[in-house]
Amino acid sequence: MKWWTTRANDPINTMNGIGSMQEAVQQSVVLTTMDSMVNWGRKNSIWPFNFGLSCCYVEMATSITSKYDVSRFGAEVIRGTPREADMMIVAGTVFIKMAPIIRKLYEQMMAPRWVIAMGACASSGGMYDIYSVVQGVDKFMPVDVYVPGCPPRPDAFLEGIVMLRDKVGQEKRPLSWVIGPQGIIKPEMPSMKEEKRAERAKMTEIRPPDHI
Amino acid sequence: MSGYADIVEKIKHQFPDAIVFEQNTCDEFPTLWVNKENIVGVLGFLKKDSALRFSQLYDLSAIDEQARNNRHGQPESKFTIVYLLLSYSRNQFIRIKVGLNASKASIPSVTPVWSSANWYEREVYDMFGVNFEGHPNLRRILMPGYWQGHPLQKAHPARATEMGQFKMPEEQMLEQQDILQFKPEEWGLKSHSKNNEDFMFLNLGPQHPGTHGILRLILQMDGEDIVNIVPDIGFHHRGAEKMGERQSWHTYIPYTDRVEYLSGVMNNLPYVMTVEKMGGIEVPDRAKVIRIMLCELFRISSHLVWYGTFAQDLGMMTPVFLTFYDRERLFTIIEAICGDRMHPNWFRIGGVAQDLPEGWETLVADFVKYFPPRLKEYDKMVMKNQIFKARTIGIGVFNTEEAIDWGVTGIGLRATGLEWDFRKKQPYSGYDQFDFEIPVAANGDCYDRAKLHVEEMRQSIRIVEQCLKNMPAGPYKSTNSLTTPPDKKHTMYDIETLINHFVNVTWGPVLPAGEGFCSVEASKGNNGYYLVSDGSTTSYRTRIRTPSFPHIQFVPQYSTGYTIADLMAILGSVDFVLSDIDR
Repeated sequence: MKWWTTRANDPINTMNGIGSMQEAVQQSVVLTTMDSMVNWGRKNSIWPFNFGLSCCYVEMATSITSKYDVSRFGAEVIRGTPREADMMIVAGTVFIKMAPIIRKLYEQMMAPRWVIAMGACASSGGMYDIYSVVQGVDKFMPVDVYVPGCPPRPDAFLEGIVMLRDKVGQEKRPLSWVIGPQGIIKPEMPSMKEEKRAERAKMTEIRPPDHI
Repeated sequence: MSGYADIVEKIKHQFPDAIVFEQNTCDEFPTLWVNKENIVGVLGFLKKDSALRFSQLYDLSAIDEQARNNRHGQPESKFTIVYLLLSYSRNQFIRIKVGLNASKASIPSVTPVWSSANWYEREVYDMFGVNFEGHPNLRRILMPGYWQGHPLQKAHPARATEMGQFKMPEEQMLEQQDILQFKPEEWGLKSHSKNNEDFMFLNLGPQHPGTHGILRLILQMDGEDIVNIVPDIGFHHRGAEKMGERQSWHTYIPYTDRVEYLSGVMNNLPYVMTVEKMGGIEVPDRAKVIRIMLCELFRISSHLVWYGTFAQDLGMMTPVFLTFYDRERLFTIIEAICGDRMHPNWFRIGGVAQDLPEGWETLVADFVKYFPPRLKEYDKMVMKNQIFKARTIGIGVFNTEEAIDWGVTGIGLRATGLEWDFRKKQPYSGYDQFDFEIPVAANGDCYDRAKLHVEEMRQSIRIVEQCLKNMPAGPYKSTNSLTTPPDKKHTMYDIETLINHFVNVTWGPVLPAGEGFCSVEASKGNNGYYLVSDGSTTSYRTRIRTPSFPHIQFVPQYSTGYTIADLMAILGSVDFVLSDIDR
């Protein structure tokens, strides 16, 4: 069997290689652990649940469209049902009347599942410390990544997805329910506020808003 | 607007003791206090009298007066019910108020006069606990069924953090989910048809991509056909009105952005205009034109979201990517001017937050040039598409009379053939200086509503172009001390100015006691703010009249007999957002 891979823009006749067995093995066999391979698959195809609560949902939808294009991170397969989705983005205010429904939708998602709290309201109640709003979705379900903003820009949301991808890539889930430790070992999620402090402190000149 | 002596005379002639007080308000709307016994009669008369024709119940709300200090001779009352009516033939508003004194307040329902009063009365019941005698189905509308108390009563806590930590144990969650279970008999719906066949009850939402947010519609289905629809709202209730009672006049502006979250600063406008009316604040010309330009840019932005999602509702994938791309271009301008995308919070009482940045003209000029050809392209792609036409023409039809009766405003009303746009009829913020047309259609179906959205974008871009060419020079904010802190250099020489500065910055301005209403032609219909000041740093009552609330109430009336696929077209063409329904 003779075959070799080429680059997309290469003219067809610049193929190299001699087509030996050794070469073929080098090009087609990957040695890795089961864990890393499964995680690699998971993190590159996170299917989000088509679920929106309020303003943030519009920015989340914007991130799917041309300029931002969430498919670059493998998360463009929007599912209309929680049973097919891996990731729930709580995009918007968590209303008291909606809380039992959000919880139910979360429970309908199959593990492994992840949650992004998008925006100030979903993270903490935000501007709305008011009788009809739950002060953050983490009051009744776990959250993996918090994205601040009111609403967060699509860029910020994409950064949240990238962080979640990294997290998914590092998670350890036992593939056997007989041998070894059970339960998910999750990586620690650092506070980006602390992580980026040094970088922020470097910014000494802030562009005035008087010209474009 | 014409005077109102004739109205009072006519009412007095018909109902000799009905009017108990005539109130003066900042908005100069005739405001009459009527006694409770005559209210249904007076409202019915105002609606039907051929010379008056106050045919639309524009708004219905209430005020809890129990903590009020400055009443200016208004009749004693614990709760005041406020009816705001609009006459299209006279181009005039009238406000009717009824004071209720009993500890368990109760008033006859006006649902026999206006069908649209149904939801408004449910809302007042839910928020204030006022009973409406003879209401067909008086139950909570915004708050969940298990809720204790009535949030807009002064005694009800405002903050979630005052009400203890939120907890939702398993059994409570199941209980709350049970309360949401739809029981047809509670709504007077039968489970079986005449032929003794089962109807199917289908939940559409609150989590459904076709409802554009957390709206729940319960469909009674006979096979494929919709027999009846019961909308269930309140999932998006964010307490925006109660919020107004604790934010200072200035710091409430960001909350207005988030009522109707697609139109950004256009929501600021009716609010700041009402405050300006109440405080007697003059807005400089430049600020007025800047406001108009931003509002029209946001109208385009909102319509672009509508365009893409509506086409997607009908099965077209491409348009949403293109319109959202255009929206991004628009946001480049908005970001350069306001510094934010969706919720810029950029209008201020008395003007705008800051002057336009250097170089704004190029950005706007580029867009004015870029956008019209794109619209043409979309026409080819969407409006002339055969499938699109087949799915929208003749679907979801209503006429002008029904529209007015059900409180429909904006594009929905114009699609029925009535040429009515507040920007022309009661021009605000200097719209009378601009040259533009009001697109009107005739059939009142989904296609006509879509057509008007597209035409409105063309008119908006015309207005933006005129703003670009004729932007007046001058200050961007009023110098009134209620709105703007005095110049720093004066405060160093003059203790009065310093005090003024200090008070305005720490507490916020104090508006004189009074009340006013202002509404604008927003992208979804008429959006208005009714504010009551009790002479303090916060509003005593903030009432937000949003267009989508009556629009969704009206949907079941003209959607029955169609299939679910048609309902998607109807919902899309109505163009609502959930925060605009539930606030």
